[in-house]
Amino acid sequence: MRRRFPQIVCGLFGFTLFAVYFSGHPIAGAINETVLRGYWQIIFAFALLVGVVSFARFNLGAIARGSDRPYRIASLVGLFSMPFLALVWGIKGDSPFIWVFDYVQVPMQSTVFALLAFFVASASLRGFRARSVPATVLLVSALLTLISRSDLGDVLFAEFSDVAEWVRDAPSMAARRAILIGIGLGSLTTSLRVLLGLERTWLGSDS
Amino acid sequence: MRLQGRHWAFLGLIAVVTVTMLLGIRPAVVPSADTERMYGYLDSLPAGTVLMVSFDHEASSLPEIAPLAQAFLRHAMSRGLRLIGVSLLAEGTGIGYRLMSQTADEYGLKYGTDYVHLGFKPQYIAAILSMGESLSKTYPEDYSGNEYGALPLLSGISNYDDVAGVVSIADGSLTTHWIEYAGARYGVRVSAFVTAAMVTTYDPYLASGQMYAMVGGLRGAAEYEGLIEIGGSGTRAMLAQTAAHVYVILLIIIGNVIYFRLRSKRREA
Amino acid sequence: MREIAGLKAVEEAVGRATEMARPVLYTPGWGGDIQRPTTIASLNILSHIAEKTAQYDCRLVFPTHDPVIMAVAQEVVRESYARAGQGDRFSEDDICYVSSSQFGYAAAVEGMITRLKPASIFLLGTFEAESLILAEVGNTVGAIQIAGTDSTIQLAFFIVACDYTLIGEEVFAASGYLSQDASILASVRAQDVLKILIAIFLVGAILWATIDPTSGWWRF
Repeated sequence: MRRRFPQIVCGLFGFTLFAVYFSGHPIAGAINETVLRGYWQIIFAFALLVGVVSFARFNLGAIARGSDRPYRIASLVGLFSMPFLALVWGIKGDSPFIWVFDYVQVPMQSTVFALLAFFVASASLRGFRARSVPATVLLVSALLTLISRSDLGDVLFAEFSDVAEWVRDAPSMAARRAILIGIGLGSLTTSLRVLLGLERTWLGSDS
Repeated sequence: MRLQGRHWAFLGLIAVVTVTMLLGIRPAVVPSADTERMYGYLDSLPAGTVLMVSFDHEASSLPEIAPLAQAFLRHAMSRGLRLIGVSLLAEGTGIGYRLMSQTADEYGLKYGTDYVHLGFKPQYIAAILSMGESLSKTYPEDYSGNEYGALPLLSGISNYDDVAGVVSIADGSLTTHWIEYAGARYGVRVSAFVTAAMVTTYDPYLASGQMYAMVGGLRGAAEYEGLIEIGGSGTRAMLAQTAAHVYVILLIIIGNVIYFRLRSKRREA
Repeated sequence: MREIAGLKAVEEAVGRATEMARPVLYTPGWGGDIQRPTTIASLNILSHIAEKTAQYDCRLVFPTHDPVIMAVAQEVVRESYARAGQGDRFSEDDICYVSSSQFGYAAAVEGMITRLKPASIFLLGTFEAESLILAEVGNTVGAIQIAGTDSTIQLAFFIVACDYTLIGEEVFAASGYLSQDASILASVRAQDVLKILIAIFLVGAILWATIDPTSGWWRF
C-alpha cells in the first residue's frame, strides 16, 4: 500500500490533467484552476522547504566534521542573509536585498557564465581534431559556423553566409529534428510507464 | 604553478577581448532575415496593442540579455505598444521590472497605463496554463502589490485571447514551454529574444512556424539596435565578439596542427 | 538492443573509480525537474550505477539543483545499496541539494569535482549552459566522463568534451539496456515502431507535397 497509493494518485492526476488539457469544458477549467493554481504551487513551496532544510543540515554537518568549512559557512551565510534582508528592508528600489543582488549575485553568476567562453577556448584547442571522418565533418561545420558569425566569411567569398545558413537550415536542422523526435517518443513512453505504474523508480524502487 | 596549454588559451582570450573592448570601435552590422522579421512584426502592430513580455532568464546572462531586452523594449515602447511583464524565473523578475521602468522613463510612459509588471509565478508550466484560463486569478496582484483590477491597462485583459502575443526573453529552454503550452493549447503567437547558445535550439520551431520570430545573441541585439537606430551595448561588443570568434578559429587550427604533428611523429617512431 | 558504447563503459568507469580510490560523481543537470521524463530515465540509470558502487565499495556523490530530485535520488540509492546487500555503506549526505540557481549549481558541482577529483563522472539528464563547464572541469581532473542529455545543443559540447555520449533517446533506452527489464525493452521497441511509422508518414507527405504543392492534408 505504501507504494500502491502514490501510484494510484499519480495515474489519477496524470490522466485527468491529460484529458483536461484538451477540453474546453467549464469543469475542466475548474480542475485546471484548482490543480495548477492551488496544488502545484503549494507542492513547490514545500519542496523548497525540503531543499532549504536539507541544504542547512548538510552544510552544518560538514562544518561540524571540519570538511571545507569556509565554503560551508559562506553557503549558510548566503542562504540566511538574503531572506533576512528581504524581510527586514523589503525587496524594492534601493533596499539592501537589491544591492546584494546587483553587486554580489549578478557579478558572481555572470562570472561563472563567462567561464563558458574560456572553456570553449580550451575545448576548441583539445576537442576539434580531425581524428576520423565524423570528427572532420564536425570540425568543418564548427569552422563554417564560427566564420559566418564573425563577418569574416563574406570577406573570404560572397556566398559564404549562404553556405553557412544552408548548413544550419538543412543537415544540422534535419539531425536536430530527428533527435527531437526520438526524445519526444522516449518522453512519451517514459511518461506513460510512470502513469501506468510500470515505472517505479521515482518511488525509490526499481521498475 | 606551471601554466599548461589551456591556461595560455585562457590568457590569450582575455587579451583579445580586453584589447578589442578598449578600442571602442563599433562595426556596422547587417541585420539578418530573422531580426528583420521580428522588427517587421513589432513595427506592424498598431499603437495601443497589448503584448505580454516574459523575462525568462537568470542574472547570469544579463550581459547578453540586457541589450536584447532593451532593444525590444525601446522599440515596443516607442511604437506605443502596451506591455504586460511577467517572469517565470525568480531572478528575471527584478531585472525585468527595472528594465521596463528604465525604458519607460526614457519615453515618459506611465506605470499601470502603458506598462505593468505582474511579477514571478513559480512552476512555469502551471503558470503558463493558468494564464490561459485567467490572468487575474493567476496574478491577483502585480509586482508592486497593486490589485489586478486597479490597473487601467489590465481592464479587459482576461487571458491570452486579449493579448496580441507573447515575447519571451530567455536564456534557456523556457520559451519551449511557451510554444508547447501557450502556443499549442491557446493559439498565442510566441516570439523570442534569446541568448546565442539557444538560437539553434529554437530553429526548428521557427522553421515550422510554431515560433513567429526570433532574435538571438549579442549580434542579434546589435542588428536590432541598428534597425531601431538607437545604439546600445550590443553594437559596442561586436568587435570583441568577432575577435573572440577569430581567436577560437585560430585555436582550432593550432589544435589540429599539434595533433597532426604528434601523429606523424608517432608513425615515424 | 544494439550496443551502446557509453553504457558498456559504465562497469569500466565504476571499476576505475574503485581502483583509484576516488569517488564517482553523478549529476542529472540543471535543466529538468522530477516531472521531466529525462530526469526519471536518469534516476533509472542512477539505480544501476548505485548498485555497482555499492558492490565495489566506491563512494557515489550526487549533487542536484532540485530538492525533490534529491529526495527521490536518496530513496533510489538507498534501495540500490540495500539490493546489493550493502545498506550500511549508504551515506545520505552524498546525495545533496546544492542550489536551484543554474550557475550556483554549476559552481557548486565544479567545486566538488575540483576538490573530490572523481575518477568517473556521469552527466546524465537535462543540461543547459552549465554542461561545458562541468565537462571541461571533469577533463581537468582526468575523470572518465559518460554524458547523455535530451538537449540537442548541449550534446555538441558533450561530444567534444566527454569520453562517451548518449544521444537523445539512448538515455531513455539506457535503463532497459542495463537491466534487461521486459517492460522497458517493450517500450523501447514501441518507440522504434512509432519512429518507423513517423518516417513512413514523412516520406509520404514529402512525396505528396512535391507532386501536389497545394495539398494540405498532411499539415497540422
